[in-house]
Amino acid sequence: MKKKSFLAKLTGSREVSLLLVLIVLLIVITILSPTFLAPANIAQIFRNNALTFVMALGMLCVMLTAGIDISITSTLAFAGMTIGLLQKYNVIHNTFLLFVIGTLIGVGCGFINGLIIAKAKVAPIICTMGFMYIWRGMAYVISNNNWASGADVAGFSDFGKDGSPGPYVILIVVYVLFFIIMKWTRFGRRIYAVGSNAEAARVSGINVDRTVISVYTIMGLLAGLAGVLSVSIYASAQPNMQYGKEMDVIAACVIGGVSMNGGRGSVTGTFLGALIIAIIAKALPLVGIDAIAQNLVKGIIILAVVILNVVTQRMMDRQNLLRREM
Amino acid sequence: MAGKSGREISAVPEGGLKSKILSWEGALVLILIAVNIFGVIVSPVYNATNVLREMPKYLAEAFMVFGMGYILVLGDIDISVGSIVCLCSTVACFAGNAGAPFPVVMIACIGTGLLCGLLNGFIATRFTELPTMIITLGTQIIFRGIAEVSLGSGGSISMSDTTGLKALATKIGPFPLSFFLIIIGAVIFITILNKTTFGRKMYACGSNQTAAKYAGIEVQKMRLTAFAFMGVQAGICAIFLLSTLFGANTTTGNGFEMEVIAMCVFGGIATTGGKGNLLGGFIAAFIIFCIRIVLGQKNVNTQLVLVIIGLMLILSVVIPAISQAFKKKPKV
Repeated sequence: MKKKSFLAKLTGSREVSLLLVLIVLLIVITILSPTFLAPANIAQIFRNNALTFVMALGMLCVMLTAGIDISITSTLAFAGMTIGLLQKYNVIHNTFLLFVIGTLIGVGCGFINGLIIAKAKVAPIICTMGFMYIWRGMAYVISNNNWASGADVAGFSDFGKDGSPGPYVILIVVYVLFFIIMKWTRFGRRIYAVGSNAEAARVSGINVDRTVISVYTIMGLLAGLAGVLSVSIYASAQPNMQYGKEMDVIAACVIGGVSMNGGRGSVTGTFLGALIIAIIAKALPLVGIDAIAQNLVKGIIILAVVILNVVTQRMMDRQNLLRREM
Repeated sequence: MAGKSGREISAVPEGGLKSKILSWEGALVLILIAVNIFGVIVSPVYNATNVLREMPKYLAEAFMVFGMGYILVLGDIDISVGSIVCLCSTVACFAGNAGAPFPVVMIACIGTGLLCGLLNGFIATRFTELPTMIITLGTQIIFRGIAEVSLGSGGSISMSDTTGLKALATKIGPFPLSFFLIIIGAVIFITILNKTTFGRKMYACGSNQTAAKYAGIEVQKMRLTAFAFMGVQAGICAIFLLSTLFGANTTTGNGFEMEVIAMCVFGGIATTGGKGNLLGGFIAAFIIFCIRIVLGQKNVNTQLVLVIIGLMLILSVVIPAISQAFKKKPKV
């Protein structure tokens, strides 16, 4: 056995290379702006991007089965709007109950997605595009173009207000739970099996349809949870909330090394991917780049990461081929 | 199979009147007629004059259906078109305000679209391992990012000299100019896709890229052409959009990509490639426009149209799947 080259070691594990990128990034930012790593600032980063962090986990599961879900922010808006209105019209004010209702709405939305994709064999992007329109439209229709303002959700927003531990607790619980599920449970491994080779998974006795349905249901659950969190953190509910942010979630997964062809990706990678996007967004103004250029930089990073990935993969393939010929 | 609609309603032999009526395109025409009858019944002001007056607002999007149809037939997808429209409008406004004559503004607008499309196509053909969804996700953010940076903190710009744009919005008889261009475009693009070697090669690439490659088709060249083409059409869309809006901001063209894809899919073009007919996408676009106009006139919550579009999209893909499942059952 030959020793692995340094480059191969670095690029062999996506998580390690992402961690290196993150460390380099942090060093550069800290030199330019020494206060960046202050605990308050870091807490702010997690709080502001809690929604992306939560939904990225669901997107990881969906993309592992070679699917995609672009209806998530509409589910988020529908669930968030519903619980916002429940408080506006003084129906329910119990925080726990509101969380349950919002999450259940998400579960329902996700389950329908999964059912249509698994049973009717509709392409995931088409099915979720349909529901992207439906749930967003429903959010507008039930709200009748009204808002639920900060005063309406007064008691509830204490859960996610600045300084409250609520969002952090949810983030930690969700990530620990998913890390265990995806790595050590039968269900988690089934998702990987279905994504790597659905036919082989079916033959070996895995109920592929049920796995696909549960994956989209999980995605819906997390989107619903994110909807409730969003109302709590931003202390308002509007029908157009988080419009277009599903692409951010997909981008976080893609940077984190989740393959769109299924079967490849990890919870750690997803976390690092989402974290890198979040840190860049926060750091740009600090290092003197106009906040307006945020999207431009983000887009370039996404393209650079995926292209770099292809290039290193090609180099590794070529090296492997050479070794075999010798 | 290639060239036929992506969906079948009932198994009938090809050719003949019956197959024409029972095709997906036939069903779409019926839906279009039904929507119009519905419109006349529910809204007293729904008539040809009013529809044609409100049409230009929406027509610009229809230009992109052709390019998106080509890309989907190839088995690719382009979700950056909304951002290309935004960038093109911005460039056109800057060019116009800098004193460029109107033809130059048009060339700048369409040229920007072409460049964006070429960039997409270049990355897609150089790095064939990457799904086009990811590539265009990146460029989607980049193109809008460039527009955002150039628009500055104000975030919007308006065209100071609108004479050229107003000339584009003129009407020939009762019809707006863009309506004619779309009809002409539809005839040309549908003929290219269905009747020429180039079009047949597109279906071949979409059905099986490897097989097409070994049959001597330059697959990557076709993909580059399709993406460049899409860019040009986004540029044309931008210039016609400007002729109704007279300005651009950072949210111009937001969500256009999904609407255009929805029109194509509703029209029977499969996102998996190699299946579908551009004619369907073209009719589907008009169905969606008519529904929007009816709902706009009835003064119902305009966002209800989102629910309707979504439902139509889902039903149009689920119903054929269910009917096929029923057809297959007895044989087993």
